[in-house]
Amino acid sequence: MDRKELEAKVLELVAASYKKEVGDLSMETSFKEDLAGASVQMVALVAEVENELDATLMLADASACATIKEFVDLVEEEL
Amino acid sequence: MSILDQLYEKAKQNPQKVAFPEAANEKMMQAAYETGKDGYIIPVLVGDAEELKRLAGERGYEESVFTIVDIHEEAYKSELIAKYVALPDTRLKEKALGRRMEDPLYYSMVMQAVEEADVTFAGIDNTTGDVLLAGQMIIGLKPGISTISSIGLCDIPGFEGSEGTLLAVGDSAVCTNPNAEQLASIAISACDTVAALLDWEPRCAMVCYSTLGSGQGELIDKVTEALKIAQEARPDLAIDGEFQLDAAIVPAVAEKKVKRESKVAGKANVVIWPDLNVGNVSVKLIQQFGHANAYGPMLQGFNKVVCDCSRGAPVSEIKGNVVISAVRAAGSKKNG
Repeated sequence: MDRKELEAKVLELVAASYKKEVGDLSMETSFKEDLAGASVQMVALVAEVENELDATLMLADASACATIKEFVDLVEEEL
Repeated sequence: MSILDQLYEKAKQNPQKVAFPEAANEKMMQAAYETGKDGYIIPVLVGDAEELKRLAGERGYEESVFTIVDIHEEAYKSELIAKYVALPDTRLKEKALGRRMEDPLYYSMVMQAVEEADVTFAGIDNTTGDVLLAGQMIIGLKPGISTISSIGLCDIPGFEGSEGTLLAVGDSAVCTNPNAEQLASIAISACDTVAALLDWEPRCAMVCYSTLGSGQGELIDKVTEALKIAQEARPDLAIDGEFQLDAAIVPAVAEKKVKRESKVAGKANVVIWPDLNVGNVSVKLIQQFGHANAYGPMLQGFNKVVCDCSRGAPVSEIKGNVVISAVRAAGSKKNG
């Protein structure tokens, strides 16, 4: 999977976990300011990444990501 | 008889299956063995069976007290996975779940989710973060609850409250700065926890520095908003406020400050702090000046009872927390 495909897949998973439209999200979207999610949503996202991409992330690492781009970087490292 | 002695007796009447994913740990195995041998629980050790059997033998424990579950046994693991993925609203799919179940903590929680165990008891080797993540991923949150939180049970010498010397307080350990929705969840979960553990009819006060509008400001607005959310979500529960602490627990003060009907004012048995700063400081005050014994923190908000003990806990404390979590699990089943 190349970077573009991975970004598209992660956007889809973020949208599902945070109950947003994919079109409203971008690599610059901030988890804290734009999504205002609780840890429960991040847990859902980590689980989705495990299911769909076979990458096991630490919640602490995932929660430390400020933007979706940083999250994609983290997933890419784990793949 | 102390409250803990009473809970030990209660546990014995209906022993629950407690899964121990850190059973190789010496203190944990001792706590599991002693509470199992005395009939308070049915200890289920989850891990490498060969290692657990060897350690039990070396430590002089009768193996028959334990049920030992080998995480390497494929047939049982497959059975658990099949049952788990068939449950509604689970997060992990088969492959990812199988991978996570290589960790006994996740394995135990899957057993619990499919009702092969009643409690998962961990925290001596795993961090609180590990336990909370596994709990949220495998057990999940109760419907309508937006955060994991905790309560403590304080036994305060000389306190003459509506439950004698006992008072449940929360959250003093987990949810740092709850928003109104989360604060409402903490109050609702706390009511359910004390009902399951102690058979109390919960009377829950949401406290801050104002009683029914005597003060104003955003710190109070959060509490009143949380109160509204909690009352709308669970009209069956007696949750009231906003009260100052004395108006919540002292009848004479409540009479002066609360000029309306309240099932809670002056006789609260559950007190909910507005945030963790208040909660932490208050528990220290109760312990230091009130010379109270504080039991907990008991995690709440999960679909089933998950217990995280302190990593430095002595065996006596671990045993107490094992018994408390078993009684909660038995009570939760009874209360549906």
